[in-house]
Amino acid sequence: MFVINCPHCQEAREEEEFHYEGEAFIARPANPEAETDDAWGDYLFMKKNPKGWHWEMWNHATGCRKILVAKRNTANHAIAGSWTLSEARKVYDKEQYDAEQATK
Amino acid sequence: MNSNNRIKHQHSRVDLTKPLNFSFNGKSYIGYQGDTLASALLANGVKVMARSFKYGRPRGIVGAWAEEPNCLVQIDVGAKTTPDLKATQVELYEGLVAGRTSGWPSLAFDLKSIGGHFSRFMPAGFYYKTFKWPAQFWPLYEHIIRRAAGYGSSPIEADVETYDHKHHHTDVLVVGGGATGLLAALLAGRSGASVILLDDQSELGGYLLSSPNTTIGGKSAIEWRDNVITELQSLPNVQMLTRTTAFGLHDMNMIQAVELLQDHLPHNQRKPAQRRERLHRIRASKVVLATGAFERPLVFGHNDVPGVMTVSAIATYFNRYGVACGQHALILTSNDGAYQAVADLAAGGLQVTLADVRTEINPAWDARFKQLGIDVYLGFGISEVFGKTTVTGARLSKLNPTNAMQEMLAQGVKLRVINQIDVACDIVASSGGLSPTVHLFCHDGGRPTWSDESLAFVVSANSRANAGIYCVGAVTGVFGLQAGLEKAVETTNEMLNSLGKNSTASKLNLTTNEIARSPAQAIYRIPTNKKAFVDFQNDVAVTDIELAVRENFKSIEHIKRYTALGFGTDQGKLSNVNGFAISAEFLGKTIPQVGTTTYRPAYTPVSFGALAGAHVNDTFEPRRYTAMQPSHEKYEAEFETVGNWMRPWYFPKTSENMHSEDMHAAVNRECLAARNSVAMLDASTLGKIDIQGRDVREFLNRVYSNAWSQLAPGKCRYGLMLNEAGMVMDDGVTACITDTHFLMTTTTGGAANVLNWLEKWHQTEWPELEVYMTSVTDHWATAALVGPKSREVLAKLCNDIDLSPINLSPDAFKFMDWRDGTVAGVPARIFRISFSGELAYEINVDASYGNYVWEELMQAGASFDITPYGTETMHVLRAEKGFIIVGQETDGSVTPLDLDMAWAVSLKKPFSFIGKRSLARSDTVRTDRKQLVGLLTEDPTIVLKEGAQIINSSNILPPVPMFGHVTSSYYSAFLGRSIALALVTDGLKRRDDPANNTIYAWAEGKAVKATIVSPVFVDAEGARHNV
Amino acid sequence: MSNLELNLSQFSPVMQTPLQHFNLSAKQEKMTDAKGVWAHEMALLGYIHLRGNAQNKDFLTAVKKATGVDLPTAACSISVASAITMLNLSPDEWMLICPREQRAGLQKKLEAALTGIHSQVLDSSGGYTSVWLQGKQATDALQHCTVYNLHALTPNKVVGTTFGKASVIIYRLDNGFCLVLRRSFADYIWRYLARAAAPYGLGIAAL
Repeated sequence: MFVINCPHCQEAREEEEFHYEGEAFIARPANPEAETDDAWGDYLFMKKNPKGWHWEMWNHATGCRKILVAKRNTANHAIAGSWTLSEARKVYDKEQYDAEQATK
Repeated sequence: MNSNNRIKHQHSRVDLTKPLNFSFNGKSYIGYQGDTLASALLANGVKVMARSFKYGRPRGIVGAWAEEPNCLVQIDVGAKTTPDLKATQVELYEGLVAGRTSGWPSLAFDLKSIGGHFSRFMPAGFYYKTFKWPAQFWPLYEHIIRRAAGYGSSPIEADVETYDHKHHHTDVLVVGGGATGLLAALLAGRSGASVILLDDQSELGGYLLSSPNTTIGGKSAIEWRDNVITELQSLPNVQMLTRTTAFGLHDMNMIQAVELLQDHLPHNQRKPAQRRERLHRIRASKVVLATGAFERPLVFGHNDVPGVMTVSAIATYFNRYGVACGQHALILTSNDGAYQAVADLAAGGLQVTLADVRTEINPAWDARFKQLGIDVYLGFGISEVFGKTTVTGARLSKLNPTNAMQEMLAQGVKLRVINQIDVACDIVASSGGLSPTVHLFCHDGGRPTWSDESLAFVVSANSRANAGIYCVGAVTGVFGLQAGLEKAVETTNEMLNSLGKNSTASKLNLTTNEIARSPAQAIYRIPTNKKAFVDFQNDVAVTDIELAVRENFKSIEHIKRYTALGFGTDQGKLSNVNGFAISAEFLGKTIPQVGTTTYRPAYTPVSFGALAGAHVNDTFEPRRYTAMQPSHEKYEAEFETVGNWMRPWYFPKTSENMHSEDMHAAVNRECLAARNSVAMLDASTLGKIDIQGRDVREFLNRVYSNAWSQLAPGKCRYGLMLNEAGMVMDDGVTACITDTHFLMTTTTGGAANVLNWLEKWHQTEWPELEVYMTSVTDHWATAALVGPKSREVLAKLCNDIDLSPINLSPDAFKFMDWRDGTVAGVPARIFRISFSGELAYEINVDASYGNYVWEELMQAGASFDITPYGTETMHVLRAEKGFIIVGQETDGSVTPLDLDMAWAVSLKKPFSFIGKRSLARSDTVRTDRKQLVGLLTEDPTIVLKEGAQIINSSNILPPVPMFGHVTSSYYSAFLGRSIALALVTDGLKRRDDPANNTIYAWAEGKAVKATIVSPVFVDAEGARHNV
Repeated sequence: MSNLELNLSQFSPVMQTPLQHFNLSAKQEKMTDAKGVWAHEMALLGYIHLRGNAQNKDFLTAVKKATGVDLPTAACSISVASAITMLNLSPDEWMLICPREQRAGLQKKLEAALTGIHSQVLDSSGGYTSVWLQGKQATDALQHCTVYNLHALTPNKVVGTTFGKASVIIYRLDNGFCLVLRRSFADYIWRYLARAAAPYGLGIAAL
């Protein structure tokens, strides 16, 4: 029962309008045939499922039918932000980069 | 009946000029407009209204609202009956019929009360310990225990009332219309913000309605309230809802509330078009919780005798409803909050005795009590109440005056009774302080904190301000009116500030006549050797908690479940905090160390009707109809739901003697018509997706397992869609309209999923491909004209050569071709495809013309006895041909190779299509997977059960290895025998091995012998459709 | 297929709206204050789906050339001009609503202007119908049906949102709402709407 801002419709909408589309940024291997069974199995079946912040895709099903990315906390349903796929990628990459720098 | 307890005074909210007749337990009474059922019964001198849950002890009314634990009643009869309402919340109306819910076989004599005499045998955990063995008897025990337990009866007739939901979005939601809630709503309303104020009672005002001698800003509290309401009503941005209970607070300030719209009206004034209840779902930027508090009683010996109540309850009955619950009241308190009520009752003519557990009294109150002639006992508690079905008196015992009880217990000192005085009285009321209504605050993860100053679990005014949740009034532990109003102004200003709105609070005069409060004493129970109840509804006594602790339950959540403390329809509104405190005492911990149980929605019981709202009857689920529905109804189709679609299932014919065919007869007739003459299926429900753009072929190559590079315009092809795990997820025929324009069809049930699936891959993985795809499912109505005579029928309607020269000849319009033309004068796109194995045309027209074209086809086919058919015949025809249905032959674990459909998998395509890599995984390349085969039973008249397990022997002594299941099974009229499809382990090899092709299909206790065969039962060479 | 026309010389094709069976036109009455909600089916209009890239100037120019109107490119915006109402349904999707008899001509013009430009033009006239809604409690009635914040639905704005357990396109003009419904859901949505409006009084408006 939360609210998601649709970056395409540029408006906050009720969760009922959206359909969950799973974890974001799981890239399809460029050459599937070159993948081992184990690596391909990981791509297919292994999801992060964290308690806490999660990057995930939502489809604005009753609205614009576009996919968006939200960063949502699975423990308390707080949403840090939602973006178009390409905008989200930039934010996500920067977050990954910053996290990497921090551990160095 | 004589309303002997009714008193007249100017503050009463009850209109004594409007008497109302009602009945309780078959007896007639008179109450007045403005009464609740509880106030009316008390006015009539009815004391025993219920029997207790476990011991069957007589019980009366304790509270005045949702906190009431005892008096659950059954309201109304027949289809309108509602069980387990609290008599304290039922508004009286003319003709109200109420009954008890407890007391079996009758209220005056409850069999369980015999148990009460032996109550030492029924301690906490009694049921667990006694009825656990033997396990098979539990259903019997449960039946009797539940009957004895004393909840009401559910209606057995369908509900005749209607309900709905309403969605709101507002800047500010104020929950609770007491003094601070009204104030917050007023300030928010004046600021221009959109405001919803809701309150669960019939009138706004909260406890102000029960405290008429209080003044605010120099006016009586009632007048102040009236003025605020008048101003709120004048503001167009403010909406006020009464009789509306907020029962849940969810993520991001979504509040659910139920409004009772008609339950307070006599039947003849209820509007048939109006709802009984309305569920409001309110999304608020800011929530102000002004939910107040319930007074908790003190726990003492025999505190459950009818006539023992809370102080706020008797004050409410007296001031608000004009009902004196007795003539001589003994009042026990631990705090100043009860004093105003004591003074009101004495001034109103009752004889009042006051006992205060504290040894000192505020001189201002002492003077007033002396003036009113009230006997005051300081340092006393009640150790025992006298009386069985009504209070006759009580024993006051002097408490050790040296220290606060908690400190003494911490030092291991036993409380000592020093002195005793017996007081005659017919009513006992106690106040152990207030328990804030923190429920909503806690529903989405908020936690209350223990306040030693307020002696309560309280919530902070603004600790959740960043989530938009603010709290005002008693819920924050500020129990004084003056302080509450002042703090509410402060908090509301902060809230308005965060909305960017201005406050006008400085203009308000909020001075009250309240006398400053002295500190309350921390005390929850008075020592006694008599049974002292903590939770009335579940009959949980102090000794039960003691036993639970002794048996090593340490967490309050476990103590709750072992003793049943806080369960039931009142959810422990009176009992919880006492229970936590008494548990703390026995555990040797502090109350905050013990903490609270979890507050979950719903705050009070919510009816199923309100939750369902409009989702009942013909608006229960979307029912999708095709354009041909009028015709289907004309031909008296039986329907089945497929996805949300209503599809004709079969068309039973009614003979002249009005005998209607059963499904088997109808399906046999329809099948033979399709195979021998001509028949027609409404195929409009198939999903249709129009795909256009430069890269359509490449896109299709990626999402289908078969190849699309070579399909020429004017041609169609069957397409098989896999998920990335290599499992079949959908199929359908796709047509090449031009090199950059294709029309895809999907299964009926899979249409929406497939479009989402395609969009997802396009948007997330391949945005560079130039394609647009749009659903045209609803635009096209599709009639599948099937059978050897279909060409002749269609020809009759395609004869307008000038407009659409469709040449229907076999050479010009081949199998798997499509053509544009007109049919019965309407532009049409015709696909020569077949899901039956017969010559067939799927005729697509603008759905506005769908029913017209269908009827024209029926007319054109009349001379061939054209037969409309439904989904059942469609299934038989396709099964005869061995065509799969996705979702029937497949279940998400079936690859194309398992279906022996390698022909639909193009491994040569350059791009690794979705699912391709998975077809090479170690598990999917096994040759002994479950594979699709046909089955023929030894006895051709036996139709196997779908879902029957495949086993290798008729011997069904376990363990029986299982080798698959029957996926489809029908009687084929065309073949004159039964046929079946099945997924069988290593089925393809076994099919070709006469020594190993016998199986048994086991279902419903029978194993039926059958032979594994090819799944194509009719016309394996395809001669029938190639004509 | 778009070049095919009805053959009225030999046949008499009849169109039906998906709300045909409610026989609404026979229930029409003049609007009064006695009822809070007034509805009216705008039956058998022409609907064209248009897909294209709003960032592509050629696409926008071509559409303007065909329709004479600027395509509404702002999210959730609409443009109303002469006989065409254009709804922005998503960043790359529009619905054009026009009188039924103008649909074929408009579609041809669009297809011609958009030749060589990545786009999709589709006749969806069979797939939709529209219901007009006004009255002093029209907003209340819709609040029972959709989770959308109707107070945010200002005039000349369109949204796709929920309607009961289905979905609907709603746009707002100065004096009321227009619901654009998919044909197959029309029966459900009408029943749901009529049920929601019942407490306020529902009338079928003669416009």
